[in-house]
Amino acid sequence: MEKIGSVLVVGGGIAGIQASMDLADSGYKVYLVESTMSIGGVMSQLDKTFPTNDCSICILAPKLVAAGRHENITLLINTNLEKIDGNPGNFTVELKQNSLLLDQEKCTGCGVCAQECPVEAIDFFNEGLSNRAAISVKFPQAVPLVFSIDKELCIGCGFCKGVCKAKAIDYTLEDKFTTLNVGAIVLALGFDEYDPSLTQQYGYSKYLNVVTSIEFERVLSASGPHSGLILRPSDGIIPKKVAFLQCVGSRDKKHGAEYCSSVCCMYTAKEAVIAKEHMEIINPTIFSMDVRAVGKDFDKYIERAQNEYGIRYIRSRISDIKELPETRDLVLHYENEEGKVVSEVYNLVVLAVGALPNRSTAELAKKLNIELNEYNFCQTKPFSPVETSREGIFVCGMISEPKDIPETVVEASAAAGAVNLLLSDVRNTLVTEKELPKEIDISGEPPRIGVFICHCGINIGGVVDVPEVVEYASKLPDVIYAERNLYTCSADTQTNIKERIKEHNLNRVIVASCTPRTHESLFQATIREAGLNKYLFDLANIRDQCSWVHMHEPDQATEKAKDLVRMSIARARKLVPLQEQQIEVIPKGMIIGGGVAGMTAALNLANQGFEVFLVEKSEKLGGFSHNIYQTLENHDVQEFLKDLINKVNNHKLINVFLNARINSIGGYVCNFTTKISFGEDKQQKEFQHGIIIVATGAHEYQPKIGEFLFAKDDRVVLQSDLEKILFTEENKINDLKSIVMIQCVGSRNDENPYCSRMCCSEAIKNALKAKEINPNLNITVLYRDIRTYGFKEKYYNLAREKGVIFLRFKDEKPPEIKLEKGNLNVYIHKPDIGNIKLNADLVALSAGIVADGTANENLAKMLKVPTNDDKFFLEAHVKLRPSDFATDGIFLCGTARGTATIRESIAQAMSAASRATTILSKDIYITEGIISKVDPALCIGCNRCAEVCSYGAVGVKFEDGLMISEVNPLLCKGCGDCAAECPAEAITMSHFGRIQIEPMITEAAKTTDTDGQPRIVAFLCNWCSYAGADLAGVSRYQYPPNIRTIRVMCSGGIPKSFILQAFLEGADGVFVGGCHLGDCHYIAGNQDTLRRTNEIGKIIGSLGINPERFMRKWVSASEGKIFAETITKFTEKLKKLGPIENDYKKEEVLITK
Amino acid sequence: MIITKQKDIEEIYEMIKPYSKILVAGCDGCCQPPRSINEAKLLAQMLELKSRSEGKELQWKAITVLRQCDDRIAATTLRPFIEEYDAIVSLACGLGVGMLNRIFPSILTFPAQDSMFGGAENNGENYFVEYCETCGECLLGVTGGICPMAGCAKNLSNGPCGGQVEGKCEVGGYIHECAWVKIWERLKKFNRLDLFTIYRPPRNYHLWSSPRFMHIYEPISNEPEQKKEEKI
Repeated sequence: MEKIGSVLVVGGGIAGIQASMDLADSGYKVYLVESTMSIGGVMSQLDKTFPTNDCSICILAPKLVAAGRHENITLLINTNLEKIDGNPGNFTVELKQNSLLLDQEKCTGCGVCAQECPVEAIDFFNEGLSNRAAISVKFPQAVPLVFSIDKELCIGCGFCKGVCKAKAIDYTLEDKFTTLNVGAIVLALGFDEYDPSLTQQYGYSKYLNVVTSIEFERVLSASGPHSGLILRPSDGIIPKKVAFLQCVGSRDKKHGAEYCSSVCCMYTAKEAVIAKEHMEIINPTIFSMDVRAVGKDFDKYIERAQNEYGIRYIRSRISDIKELPETRDLVLHYENEEGKVVSEVYNLVVLAVGALPNRSTAELAKKLNIELNEYNFCQTKPFSPVETSREGIFVCGMISEPKDIPETVVEASAAAGAVNLLLSDVRNTLVTEKELPKEIDISGEPPRIGVFICHCGINIGGVVDVPEVVEYASKLPDVIYAERNLYTCSADTQTNIKERIKEHNLNRVIVASCTPRTHESLFQATIREAGLNKYLFDLANIRDQCSWVHMHEPDQATEKAKDLVRMSIARARKLVPLQEQQIEVIPKGMIIGGGVAGMTAALNLANQGFEVFLVEKSEKLGGFSHNIYQTLENHDVQEFLKDLINKVNNHKLINVFLNARINSIGGYVCNFTTKISFGEDKQQKEFQHGIIIVATGAHEYQPKIGEFLFAKDDRVVLQSDLEKILFTEENKINDLKSIVMIQCVGSRNDENPYCSRMCCSEAIKNALKAKEINPNLNITVLYRDIRTYGFKEKYYNLAREKGVIFLRFKDEKPPEIKLEKGNLNVYIHKPDIGNIKLNADLVALSAGIVADGTANENLAKMLKVPTNDDKFFLEAHVKLRPSDFATDGIFLCGTARGTATIRESIAQAMSAASRATTILSKDIYITEGIISKVDPALCIGCNRCAEVCSYGAVGVKFEDGLMISEVNPLLCKGCGDCAAECPAEAITMSHFGRIQIEPMITEAAKTTDTDGQPRIVAFLCNWCSYAGADLAGVSRYQYPPNIRTIRVMCSGGIPKSFILQAFLEGADGVFVGGCHLGDCHYIAGNQDTLRRTNEIGKIIGSLGINPERFMRKWVSASEGKIFAETITKFTEKLKKLGPIENDYKKEEVLITK
Repeated sequence: MIITKQKDIEEIYEMIKPYSKILVAGCDGCCQPPRSINEAKLLAQMLELKSRSEGKELQWKAITVLRQCDDRIAATTLRPFIEEYDAIVSLACGLGVGMLNRIFPSILTFPAQDSMFGGAENNGENYFVEYCETCGECLLGVTGGICPMAGCAKNLSNGPCGGQVEGKCEVGGYIHECAWVKIWERLKKFNRLDLFTIYRPPRNYHLWSSPRFMHIYEPISNEPEQKKEEKI
């Protein structure tokens, strides 16, 4: 049967979005089906993410927009999968879209209907903590931004239909059925939280002050029900003592599920830290059994939570909660480590609820005929974590096992990698490319600007006097044409804009409407269709940052709208056409490291038809996996490995180089050149390739000689040695009476302050195997935390059932081994029992995993990529880009990134291969149009640009004595940091450079109204602060109308001279807004903002200007209210200071004195 | 490279106070940190704001020179603008300020920078160290390449003195490393302690005292030999 080059992705959470993006970028048509009204899933509900405390919506929203805009992704909201038929490569699926009661195409998302709706219904996004209207959007940043009517709540009054200027509402619309043909299906259904009201154990739903963790997450969020204030439900008082209870519905066969939900330990720590950050007086206490901080840098986070934030951890599982009726406080009883029962009173209790399979998983599995496991999660193949029992159907994310966001993203890309294998022959068969007219050459022409001003129904027109603004704009220099539209974004207006461009020979177009973050690309596409370069467009934000936030001051809002349009025109005059760089892709890849991860990635690429160079430093393929005989789940590793090595060796597209050393790596994405020497006779080889995958792996920690008598007594062995004995010399075990295992050897200490992730499972695996061989054997495991996350918990339970004894030791009191009369004795201290002596015939040390420090660092230098403190490679973003480096075209997987099991390494390898495919599958790779450029004639060779650039895209090189300074257009992301830093002004940032922004500052600082309001010029970064200001608009948080905002890509692109210029031009105050430190969209641009603004703060004081006239604030995309409050306070401060002229001495005054 | 530090804005302002039109000249030469057009513009903006806060208006032009210590380059770049301005503010080291004052005798040039020392960059981390004090009599050949003039607080030719404890110098409170201990260690590493034990005679401080000037080549005369003799 013929294969079809399209894919159905079910579930629009982060997993579904990532899988869709990867697939669409690799040349497939994607249908993304989401059962709710917007994509985004649970991640859009989170306030912050661990372990970086990144603002969740800040990092997610750009992904949502990108997915919504992608021409190869069709979003199907409010839709469910009904039926499936067919075979792998060619399925027929039936979908049902429940009626929204409005026309998705017509709805502009303006939200007037929601304001008019008389029925207050509950807001599920805020977990039932605040209200919304019966007609609503899921959350302000929702994609697609379409409202829908809740049929159950709607009373049919017709108010909304009356106010909808777009005529989108239609009560008669019926459910829609669609049939699609797709080649593969990816399921990313996610999970459901455990509902603690099912069991009355903790009084949830009975006691008001017992909340679940996801409810608390919304309370913490700046866009949540209390705008980030932590107030308890019963009386709205700030809870001083907050208890967090772990494992609610997890690790509990009676209530909830047997397995571990993997994420609760970390999100609880995060919630406690954020609560403390929001309100210092809160004292969080966390009650937990084990603290399972298994991920990269997670342990450091827990350590910081305890030491820096003073969060108290108590090892106990609380059995019940009692409420004190007068105060509604809650009493908890627990047994402390000394064995005494203590009772404590808390103001608020947060239950860390576990993850259950999504409630629709079972039903869907039946429809699709795929197997589920004993816990009703999707069953996957042992060495292919994204494949289901039915060929052609893949899964990713929480649907197969509870896991955190990075692992979910890895699996999403891995699922795309698996689809690649199935459908690579029919790639690019269904994707569409629009045919565009040739671009008009406008060079030498004076600016001819067309201005289109939007009423947005009544959203803008109801506040701003739009005809007056049109009148004003039409009189400004260079404006050839100005008009107003009811909805500038509607389809008929697009045609109109194109006609006006032709009619008046316009060469710049300005739309004054909503926000560029959502609508810029639409208008850019329109003018491109009319033959103009898409960068000849500018958008003036007169809705989100004007009419919506100055609703009660229509006159001043109109003045502001005029100013914003004038600023936009000033910028438009200086806009120039930009060309995206195009480069030919060399469809070959280099993979560094021939372990399981490297080989899996190599096979994935080679099976798609890409030639692969696999470079391995040792004399054989396989890496560390040669030491692993079985997984915890009893799957044979050696057989799998043998098969994998065979496949790699026999594949004609894979060139394996053993005993290889890399001598040099040159070039950049799409076009790398690598020189290696390989083999025993050091043969030289040079090859070219388009991408690099780093899969260098890691090795087992070797204890120091004498550490736990290691290497001093041959009865002390490593866990891997024991595994070898268990699987090859069984009879040795029969002679033993007792084995003692010591965990965390070489992990979680000062030398290696991270968890090695697999040693707990390794120990349990070996213990179970030893018990199987010799059931009378006494096995004792000495541990700090047993970290059998996910379904591994089952084997921990099994080991205990089989009689393996687990004894916990305190971090500061590790066990001691003594050699006494030829016997090995292990001593351990338990506070409740005292000292325990264990006799051991064999001691197994669970040694951790360590990175090969020098090798990794050398490679990192060669690739110009970073490593972390523990010498593992550091990915581009720990949460959302786990398989990419910040440098384009270089990817990573396996234990090079951090400790991982074989299964996880395989997923990562598939993921890296899939990410690489997004480049390799293209003939031509197109990069950013907005980049920096160097004028070599002005460059003084100081190389400051290279120091501030996070992407290694710019710098000064010397070749044959000639200085070459250049920006690599393939690596530049267009933040403008280098241009702001360049002392010689040799670097120009395009589109947002000095040439465009300086005229805007002049116009922004110019006061045209005489109302005595202080004038603020604000510079906002596109990704966080500008989005935060937009959110203030969406949420209608009012602030004074005296601020004029200038959008820049990154706050790091704001040179100091912009700020001084604003003051010189007459601004009374200057505001700089950027992402929170650590959240920067360009890795660390805001660090440079911090440095520059600190200097400015110092400078302006010495110039006689009150330093309070300058303000820098980090505002995230979720902090609309904070933005509004900040501007209000800043304005009040400036009012007290008076106009800036107050700071200047008057000459006359001097004379009279 | 000449390491410089920008003066306080008040100090610069005091210098240019009497003037209402100034030319602010950056230097693209070896000045560290780089003081090119961007810094010149920034300084000019700062001076304008400062002037305003003092109740007067200031006009300025910011410009940069490839190397202010080269008279021909500096003159060519700046000459077209000199007439229009009342004073020049230079962002170069003292060499540049001196040069502009010499080549433009009709106008005063003021320094915006304090020149600190001649420094070499270390580690690519914007950390500069003085390896040479231009003393006129190089000792590096006998000190393993470590200069006791730049490195020793007492400029000793024969060290170390009794003021070092565990390799740290008493001057400045045992923070800086003793140059002579480093010299000993370095020479020992190369088995050249013979160089350490030689006696180094007192230095000719005449070579190290101002004013200093030098023709790098013997002056070349194109006049016939006899005439030259006549002159004498």
